[in-house]
Amino acid sequence: MRGLHQEFLIYLLMSLVIKNLTANIGDQQILKGVNLEVPKGEVHAIMGKNGSGKSTLAKIMAGHPDYTVTGGEVLMDGENLFDMEEPDERARAGLFLAFQYPMEIPGVTIANFIRAAVQARLPEGEELEATDYYANLYAKMDALKIPRAFTSRSVNEGFSGGEKKRCEILQMAMLEPKYAVLDETDSGLDIDALKIVSDGVNALRSPDRGFLVITHYQRLLNYIVPDKVHVMVDGRIAMTGDKDLALELEAKGYDWVTEGELATA
Amino acid sequence: MNPETPTTDGLQFTPSPVWPDWFRSAQQDAWNEYLATPAPTRKDETWRYANIKALDLSAFRNAPPIASEGKLINASTGLEAIAAKLVFGNNALVHSQTDGLPAGVVVQPLDVAARENEALFRQYFLSQPVELGSHKYALLHKALLSGGVLVHVPANVEVALPIELYHWVEGANSSVFPHTLIVLGDNAKVTVVDHFKSADGAPAFACGINDFHLGRGAKLDYVAIQDWSADTLAFHINSTVCDRDSSSTALVANLGGRHIRGESFSKLAGEGSRSVMLSINPLDGERHVDQRTLQDHAAPNATSDLLYRNSLDDKSQAIFSGLIRVEPGSKQTDAYQKVENLVLSEDAVAHSMPGLQILNDDVRCTHGATSGGISQDELFYMQARGIRPDLGRRLVVAGFFHSLLERLDNETLRARVAALVNARLGVE
Amino acid sequence: MPALEETEKPDLNLDRSVGDFSYDVQYQYDAGVGLTEATIDYICDVKNDPDWIREFRKDGLRKFLEKPMPTHWASHDLDNIVFDNIRYYLSQGTQPKRSWDDVPEEMKQTFERLGIPEQERKFLAGVEAQFDSEAAYSNIKAAVGEQGVIFVGSTEGLHKHPEIFRKWFGKVIPTGDNKFSALNSAVFSGGSFIYVPPGVKVKHPLQAYFRINAESFGQFERTLIIADEGSEVMYMEGCTAPKFETSTLHSAVVELVALKGAKIQYVTVQNWSPNVFNLVTKRGLAHEEAEIKWIDCNIGSRLTMKYPGVIMKGRKARGEVISIALASDGQHQDTGAKMIHAADETTSNIVSKSISIGSGIATYRGLVDIPPHRKGCKNNTECDALLINTHSRTDTYPAVVVRGNQNATQHEASVSKVSAEQIFYMQQRGLSEGEAMSLAVNGFVNDLVREFPMEYSVELKRLIDLEMEGSVG
Repeated sequence: MRGLHQEFLIYLLMSLVIKNLTANIGDQQILKGVNLEVPKGEVHAIMGKNGSGKSTLAKIMAGHPDYTVTGGEVLMDGENLFDMEEPDERARAGLFLAFQYPMEIPGVTIANFIRAAVQARLPEGEELEATDYYANLYAKMDALKIPRAFTSRSVNEGFSGGEKKRCEILQMAMLEPKYAVLDETDSGLDIDALKIVSDGVNALRSPDRGFLVITHYQRLLNYIVPDKVHVMVDGRIAMTGDKDLALELEAKGYDWVTEGELATA
Repeated sequence: MNPETPTTDGLQFTPSPVWPDWFRSAQQDAWNEYLATPAPTRKDETWRYANIKALDLSAFRNAPPIASEGKLINASTGLEAIAAKLVFGNNALVHSQTDGLPAGVVVQPLDVAARENEALFRQYFLSQPVELGSHKYALLHKALLSGGVLVHVPANVEVALPIELYHWVEGANSSVFPHTLIVLGDNAKVTVVDHFKSADGAPAFACGINDFHLGRGAKLDYVAIQDWSADTLAFHINSTVCDRDSSSTALVANLGGRHIRGESFSKLAGEGSRSVMLSINPLDGERHVDQRTLQDHAAPNATSDLLYRNSLDDKSQAIFSGLIRVEPGSKQTDAYQKVENLVLSEDAVAHSMPGLQILNDDVRCTHGATSGGISQDELFYMQARGIRPDLGRRLVVAGFFHSLLERLDNETLRARVAALVNARLGVE
Repeated sequence: MPALEETEKPDLNLDRSVGDFSYDVQYQYDAGVGLTEATIDYICDVKNDPDWIREFRKDGLRKFLEKPMPTHWASHDLDNIVFDNIRYYLSQGTQPKRSWDDVPEEMKQTFERLGIPEQERKFLAGVEAQFDSEAAYSNIKAAVGEQGVIFVGSTEGLHKHPEIFRKWFGKVIPTGDNKFSALNSAVFSGGSFIYVPPGVKVKHPLQAYFRINAESFGQFERTLIIADEGSEVMYMEGCTAPKFETSTLHSAVVELVALKGAKIQYVTVQNWSPNVFNLVTKRGLAHEEAEIKWIDCNIGSRLTMKYPGVIMKGRKARGEVISIALASDGQHQDTGAKMIHAADETTSNIVSKSISIGSGIATYRGLVDIPPHRKGCKNNTECDALLINTHSRTDTYPAVVVRGNQNATQHEASVSKVSAEQIFYMQQRGLSEGEAMSLAVNGFVNDLVREFPMEYSVELKRLIDLEMEGSVG
């Protein structure tokens, strides 16, 4: 790092930086050189068509085993995510992924699941105090309007779409990540659920936390107002702008981006 | 209670003086028949895929009297509130606590039952044929039986709190023959928990039989927690006969043992009866659980529901062979049978043989068998929350069993078994 | 013997009433009744077998005599087969005719009544017709022959193409696989030999027709199909026999070899008369990325025992069994499938549907085996049984052996009857109870019937209607 400009160094230590990231699934290249920077305290949105690679980006950062990183790096506050092999290491380092399709885990209650995740973040030998844990959990459930009876239900099993997404936000609230990636969190939500989930996310916005919100529709960004909007096309960030870009996309469609790109090329 | 000098050269026929003469002579007949009955082979359909070599009994001996009686009695604690507790050590009754029982309810050792409740004993003891393969071992059980319990709940009596029975084995190569005979009068209700435990880690042999008889409208909740030493060979043979409108829920948790052969037979003998058969088998090391079941629908409108789950780590093996038999007149039968294997290692083996024999058209019968590993996505989801893969795996396995335990109505019992499963899996 | 009557010829002749006739045929060769080494020598002499086949047959006889009846798991009805009363070889010569005009008159009448030449003209790439022990007629369309496709009787295959024949013959199903494969190995005659050269995709199906004409006769055809790399072929067989007073035995062995990337579809519609013991061993060997699919329909016979199998020995090989069984009064259809996942990433699928009518028994037996250290293997099995009458019976006996944590299997089975409400609904629309039942049964098997070639599926529906007649009330 020696020789780097002091200011840039600080910036690097306070951001999620994706540099020239390329990745494959099998033999097929999905990401073709993604560059992106999310400073702490900001909310960035990634929009794009289905198949543009935006969900892949989320899964690759979290370390999904189906994908192979072929080049580039992701630095979280200066720390290379890819130096951490296992997804759980990256999670404990402060990365949170809210899943588009949260998994059902039969027989494991929400309370026990989140507890195991919180416990995993404590130094070895340190035990989580049960009463503190439940006080914290209930407070956050109340805020997200999740009934307390939910704690004894199996993770995501038999949940409605809205319940699953609220459960994701609850986990995010409990795990207090440095950076949160929300993958199509709005999919399958009606307007009431969308508001609750967005309120939950907004409540977690802080100068110490960055958000990357992946979405297909502009609608979500009415509730979670982004600092920047990136448009992903065919495995690359094709365009970046402020929140108004989302409105423009809504009006003109994604093909407009491609045409624009071709025009400037 | 076992005055014979134990021998080291295998099991001996040493009729116990505790029994009345008529039963001792029945034991002599059983012993002779045991000797004359050929050992099973894998060609027998009921022993398909079985590891016959593991059934070698030559090293085992009749159990000596127990040495550490006090220690075992102290260790025989499970549920906080119980109606009665009997503790057996190497086949002999060492502790009996029956003051919480309602009037008329009998919980007594079988030898006492054979004298005091002779009619009941003669009517119900081993009254069902052993059809699922272990006929020979049932004869051995009968011949060498000296302990065992009768639980009799008369008509219209409900025992609110569970009855706990402990069966201990102690000493190298000791053999025990636990027996639980439950007879419920019409509309009687009871919960019984059998604990099978080893006082030490020594090799041992257990050959246990249960006979359950439910009168009309009776309800039985039964849990067996098998926690023999990791070097124990055990047979557990169960038969349940349900009369009209009665309902039985039985869970077998195989937490211990080296080689377990389990046979469970439920006969839906009366119209509207119901039998729920559950089993959880967390397996690791070189443990082997071989379970054979029969859901025999001999009456109309009856329900049977079987769900067995195995988790298989290391070089463990599970065999499940089940049959739903619907007899010709048994219309409106509702029968379900499912075995699910969660395979955790490359060397584990799961054999599934779910079977149907349907001789009546007016039925709703389904069965299924699944085998597979932990889904990569499920594990990834947990890891994405910061949970280490090893713990994630154990949580998934625990969850796999906990969701089955939901089928137990009794919450205290459910929590107790869940805690034991967690302890077994090293999950908090 | 029933007299020959003029009846309208159906499209395909799977209807038992159509097959229920026989002719007085003067057989040129007859091995007589019973089975000894002399019977084998007689067959070898008539067929001019090479020495290694004579040895192969005698080994088969030894193994047949050694092996007990598998009645510890199978039906005790097997004990009613009197092997000493069976005629093991009957023919009018071993050379099949290439031209329809050369086929002897009685046989020609038989096959014409069964519609064979007509089918050949219509949609088949080749036809072989077997009458008792030998192929009476064998023909392949010139265009298909020019591609290098060999389609002849097994006797001809053995004599004219020994280099291919010997390499695979008896390799997929060893003689001692079971008592009946051993019996077939001892006395086999007839059946097809097919070789499809690399890359050749045979557009139209090849068809074989098996006909038992003589009473107390055993038909033991032996079929061997080799699809070389990247080739594709569909083979169809139909079977009938007249009703005789005494029981008849059909015990075939069918071996399929699909080399790398090849595809074989094997379609059977079995409609034997109700006194035939139909005990058949069928197995395919699928090499890398090859696919073998058995499409099987069992309607007739007294007892059918047949469990088509696929050994997936190459990576990414696929195996499939699609099976329909219809067990009418007094019949037992004991069918199923075997899938051996001997290589990584192999997948198999079994779908079995059975219908039991009257005292009919439909049994499913399955084996799915994933040997040690395999990865990425998958099996899916579905078995559904429909019971028509109160005393109808169905049994299901699958065995699934899974080793290791990187494979997945799923078996599901259900048993049901046609709901009274469904029948009532259709009756209210004006259908008779029988028609309604037929419709419901056709609906039950509909998704599988579609797997059969069109010509067969139409016929299957008609057959089901026939079987359902009089099954209610």
